[in-house]
Amino acid sequence: MKNRNFTNLNINPCKVCMPMGAVMAFKGIENSMVMLHGSQGCSTYIRRHMAGHYNEPIDIASSSLNEEGTVYGGEKNLKKGLKNLIELYNPDVIGVATTCLAETIGEDIKRITSEFAESEGLEKDRIIPMSTAGYGGTGFEGYFSALLSIVKSIAKDSRPNGKINVIVGNVSPGDVRNIKDILDSFSIDYIILPDISDTLDSPYSKEYSRIPKGGTRLEDIRRMAGSSATIELGVTIPEALSPGQYLLSAYNVPLYKCPIPMGIENTDLFVNILSQLSGRPVPERLVSERGRMLDGMIDSHKYNGEGRAVIYGEPELVYAVGRLCFENGIKPVLIATGSQNGEIKQLFKEYFSKNGMSPDEEGKNGDFPLIIDDTDFETIQDYSVKLEANILIGNSDGKIITEKEGIPLVRIGFPIHDRMGGQRQVYTGYNGSMRLIDDITNTLLENKYEGYRKRMYSKYYQPENQVQPANDSRTADIDKKTQSHPCYSSGAACSNARMHIPVAPACNISCNYCNRKFDCVNESRPGVTSEVLTPEQAAEKFVMVKSKLKNLKVIGIAGPGDALANFSNTKKSIELIKKLDPDITFCLSTNGLMLPYYAEELIALGVSHVTITINTIDPTIGAKIYREINFMGMKLYGEQAAKLLLDNQLIGLRMLSSRGIVCKVNIVMIKGVNDSHIPEVVKKVKECGAFMTNIMPLIPASGSVFENMELTNNRDLTEMRKKCEVDLKQMYHCKQCRADAIGILGEDVHGEFERNSCKGCAPAPAEAGRKETVYLFAVASKSGIMIDQHFGHAEEFYIYESRDSKIKLLEKRNVDKYCSESECDSEESKIEKTIKAIEDCNAVLVLRIGYRPAKALEEKGISVIQTCERIEAGIRQAVKEIEEARVVLGARS
Amino acid sequence: MVDRANDGILEERRTSIFCNSKQSGCELKCEKDSLAGSVSQRACVYCGARVVLNPITDAFHIVHGPIGCASYTWDIRGSLTSGPETFRNSFSTDLREDDIIFGGEKKLEKAIDEICAQYSPKVIFIYATCIVGVIGDDIEAVCKNAEARHGIRVIPVKSSGFAGNKSMGYKAAGKALMKLMDGPKQIKNEKEDNKNFNINFLGDFNLAGEIWITTGYLKQMGIEINARFTGDSRCEEIMKAPEASLNIVQCAGSMTSLAKEMEEKYGIPYIKVSFFGLEDIRHSLMSIAEYTKDPDIIERTEKLIFIEELKVQAELRKYSSRLEGKKAAIYVGGGFKAISLIKQFADLGIRTVMVGTQTGRKDEYDIIREIAEEGTVILDDTNPAELEKFIKEKGADILVGGVKERPLAYKLGVAFCDHNHERKHPLCGYEGAVNFAKEIDMTINSPVWRYV
Repeated sequence: MKNRNFTNLNINPCKVCMPMGAVMAFKGIENSMVMLHGSQGCSTYIRRHMAGHYNEPIDIASSSLNEEGTVYGGEKNLKKGLKNLIELYNPDVIGVATTCLAETIGEDIKRITSEFAESEGLEKDRIIPMSTAGYGGTGFEGYFSALLSIVKSIAKDSRPNGKINVIVGNVSPGDVRNIKDILDSFSIDYIILPDISDTLDSPYSKEYSRIPKGGTRLEDIRRMAGSSATIELGVTIPEALSPGQYLLSAYNVPLYKCPIPMGIENTDLFVNILSQLSGRPVPERLVSERGRMLDGMIDSHKYNGEGRAVIYGEPELVYAVGRLCFENGIKPVLIATGSQNGEIKQLFKEYFSKNGMSPDEEGKNGDFPLIIDDTDFETIQDYSVKLEANILIGNSDGKIITEKEGIPLVRIGFPIHDRMGGQRQVYTGYNGSMRLIDDITNTLLENKYEGYRKRMYSKYYQPENQVQPANDSRTADIDKKTQSHPCYSSGAACSNARMHIPVAPACNISCNYCNRKFDCVNESRPGVTSEVLTPEQAAEKFVMVKSKLKNLKVIGIAGPGDALANFSNTKKSIELIKKLDPDITFCLSTNGLMLPYYAEELIALGVSHVTITINTIDPTIGAKIYREINFMGMKLYGEQAAKLLLDNQLIGLRMLSSRGIVCKVNIVMIKGVNDSHIPEVVKKVKECGAFMTNIMPLIPASGSVFENMELTNNRDLTEMRKKCEVDLKQMYHCKQCRADAIGILGEDVHGEFERNSCKGCAPAPAEAGRKETVYLFAVASKSGIMIDQHFGHAEEFYIYESRDSKIKLLEKRNVDKYCSESECDSEESKIEKTIKAIEDCNAVLVLRIGYRPAKALEEKGISVIQTCERIEAGIRQAVKEIEEARVVLGARS
Repeated sequence: MVDRANDGILEERRTSIFCNSKQSGCELKCEKDSLAGSVSQRACVYCGARVVLNPITDAFHIVHGPIGCASYTWDIRGSLTSGPETFRNSFSTDLREDDIIFGGEKKLEKAIDEICAQYSPKVIFIYATCIVGVIGDDIEAVCKNAEARHGIRVIPVKSSGFAGNKSMGYKAAGKALMKLMDGPKQIKNEKEDNKNFNINFLGDFNLAGEIWITTGYLKQMGIEINARFTGDSRCEEIMKAPEASLNIVQCAGSMTSLAKEMEEKYGIPYIKVSFFGLEDIRHSLMSIAEYTKDPDIIERTEKLIFIEELKVQAELRKYSSRLEGKKAAIYVGGGFKAISLIKQFADLGIRTVMVGTQTGRKDEYDIIREIAEEGTVILDDTNPAELEKFIKEKGADILVGGVKERPLAYKLGVAFCDHNHERKHPLCGYEGAVNFAKEIDMTINSPVWRYV
């Protein structure tokens, strides 16, 4: 996964520089000042950036390196600057941080500052040199390396003092106050470093002090080496930059690491450490805050469940916020940081595997968010759209994404320069976490409710005068037809026959999996026909077939080319047959290229069912599947072709589905080409109104481009269908019929109606021509072993499947589940509901059955077998009976 | 530590501070490097260059250096565009340790290639930051090669931060603009008699749509705008700037040197203008009109001024009645802005008690001394300690300044006017004059001050 779209460019940075981080850390030391050794701009830009966030005067001195200093060394400037700084501010401690410039010209600030201290008679640790080249890292590393420098040069008093060190990651002054509150509630004697709670959010007072009051006292920092433990609120810090780690190895101060206490788990961890270290139980106040937070989490979880968050910022913050999102069902789709940080990925991996999430799929559909470091906003913006985020969580700089893409932003972190109160934010602890959750939830709600009425109105409302009464009966009619259509209703699949009329020879797209040249009676797959008919011939054949197959309910046009590429033939055929049998269901299948142009006419013709083959919604994948398209005489290739095809498919689908036409979408599953993308296709076509999808295996037709492709096996196919079933009804019984198929699904009898017999082609292997035969049986049984129950007494049926004479119990069906209580009072409705429960079965096996129900079953095309055998034996006998009956039908033709 | 903090003035700073007196011939020290450790409010060379060039909307601005410089200047200014938004992005080579050691030229080259592959830039500006000057990247050569390779303009901006102050950045930007105008398809300024009178507008960066307001007046007067430097500008119009009959120069600090160079090279005369405050607007519009010597234009201009002034005068009177007698402190970037602010405050009955600039020039300070009252504190390149001292000492009711100064004013319990590049409301033209008065009134007369 790419961290950045561009290799040599950072577009719209998602980070600040190291000196800025150092300044932020240093601002938490009592009576301190920072001097940046570099050119004047560094200090001014950082002051400006911080002033915009904290709304506090931010004084940072600069050694104001000029051309001369850059060439001959900046020592003179630095020393003079320090002198002036002391004269103006008289700080107790001065942090001298380098910049890009000072580092590059090789300034030895350690030497310069100690020389200066000596010559001025200052104590050595009053000036702390920090090496922070702007190119050496980001604000995150600058912050911790400054803290480390402070601790290293000051914390030297290792006499035990019984205090607890608390080293805080870069959070707001408000959060530092909150963390101190939590510490106080345990009555812990602590040293918090850095303490920006007052220095970067100072109260108004009559007396202005040039260096704001507050901050960690030097005296306290000195004693950190003798504390009884360190809690470091930072788990993503590289070990080499960790002050806690230093105190552990240099002075044996035990180290407890904990993420920023945001979210319930992180706060629990923090609170438990405090309880353990203080030897005190968790104070009642925190217990009830926790309870209230849980209560709030529950209240909001259904709104949060719709969240797809992009979280960005400093590693430590995004780790904490990411965890908070997971706890609340807000799905982080992208976790991004501008710093280079490997720790965060590792930490999340551990977290996910602990929580049973599968880390194998990143991004859009998987549980696992995409995690990228060293990134920029250009890239984050891109992913936000691709991953369909609906909320951003991070600093103000993400507003560019809000502005361009309309995704709302919850502001947290640094900088927040376009809203007030960034410095007061409290998002830590149970109380603060709940506030953050509320802010996220409310942003999601605002987005959802805004324009909600209007959205629903324009989506669903139809003005009275525009609704044609005819439409209602038409939809009802379509519902009936769907029930009796073998492709749409698996119950009807077994009993009703359909006939494909091969009237559409031409095709307007070239698919790599298709070869229409191959004509053979023994070949059974789409695109194949033994003959092409004119509309008149098709009508003639319909009459003949109808006379033999009474259950012929559906006329389909499925090629062998594309129904809409031969629209005049298609139209004429339908008109002719409609005159012969007005009750017939017309359906057709198409690649959809011309759909937007003929959709209206198809509806007018009375076509009720349309199948569109949509293999992908990604033009780059489409370019691999389609060789060329011929769009009204214009030839297009590659992605351009695929894009046009896709647009027309989706427009056509919307046009038809919005008018009540039942649309099935076929998807050919091609291993290595579109297989992993299929769930997205299903989601998209669902959105466009598809009734069901039919995921079919690729048949590597010889002579086609894909002839050597791997055949998709049944297991993968079933798995894919199951996966997509969550989103949309799936067709499980597709037989991938020929363009001239006739009969019941899976039992093609087109050869019996052939006008011309096969002229002789390579004979297919004997096995290939044979189809699996599958039957379903409903068995009434009390014992579960014998067929020993009367139909009318059966409250449940055992459903068995016989697949190629292998018999298997599928499930038990309770009859009551198929009706509501009020319906089932009368005996008549009880029969009905029983039939409803088993209507997809070929036969029902019972001990006895009454006359009325038996007749009702037969009308539904369900055979009734009365017997008192063992179940398996009964089924075997039933299969034999059914197959004999079919042979009789065949013989009759 | 050594001494306790002093009264707020460092010895070496004393010559940059002046208590106004018309008699004294004392010189104010200005146009010099900042004093180390004094906590100057100034930025750097890069900042000056970026301010001037960035509003060119369809140019690609690549900051060649480590990330900080790009990060702190990304889309922070309120320059508006009527079209392309390219300039609102921040492109940086984001140099790392290795690049510093081995040089950044290769990376810059590839960065340009990447931009050319992904977008179709016409003009790319390459800003040199501090370390580029130190590690010795030859950005001029890189730009030249890139121009040959891609057939577009790639223009180096020599803005290494340490090489002077913000004004040097203005000059660097001016040089870059000259380079852009001197392109291969350079247009000669032909003095044909039948050529329409048209002008270039220098020194408006279209903050909150200001250039739309002012060019609106010019269009009403019947004056054609040839090119804008650089508010809402396009590369194309800058390239044809040498065709203009007249340059009008508003932000004098940043644009005067460019105007002079254009006069020398293309023979385009220039006049200085200001659209801040009613007096300045009237004067500027009339100067432009009279320059054309076209009686129709002059008549239209007189009418426009009459009507526009009529529209705002009543409202301005309302505000001045609420502001009469207040005291203002000014600390802004350039001398031009300081001068126009003193005049605007005077219009509202407000006295200026302190005025200073980051990069004002000697001639500008002379004007300031001329128009400021006796006793007004005048400072160059000041710092928070001095601001604090003089705001308190002089009892200012309001400070005008930028983002860094704002929290200081508030901490001192003083009102504040945002006269910076981040503001979201126009302050120029007739509406701007009303906005200005309204803002001053809103902050000075806010109820919050009752509680402090």
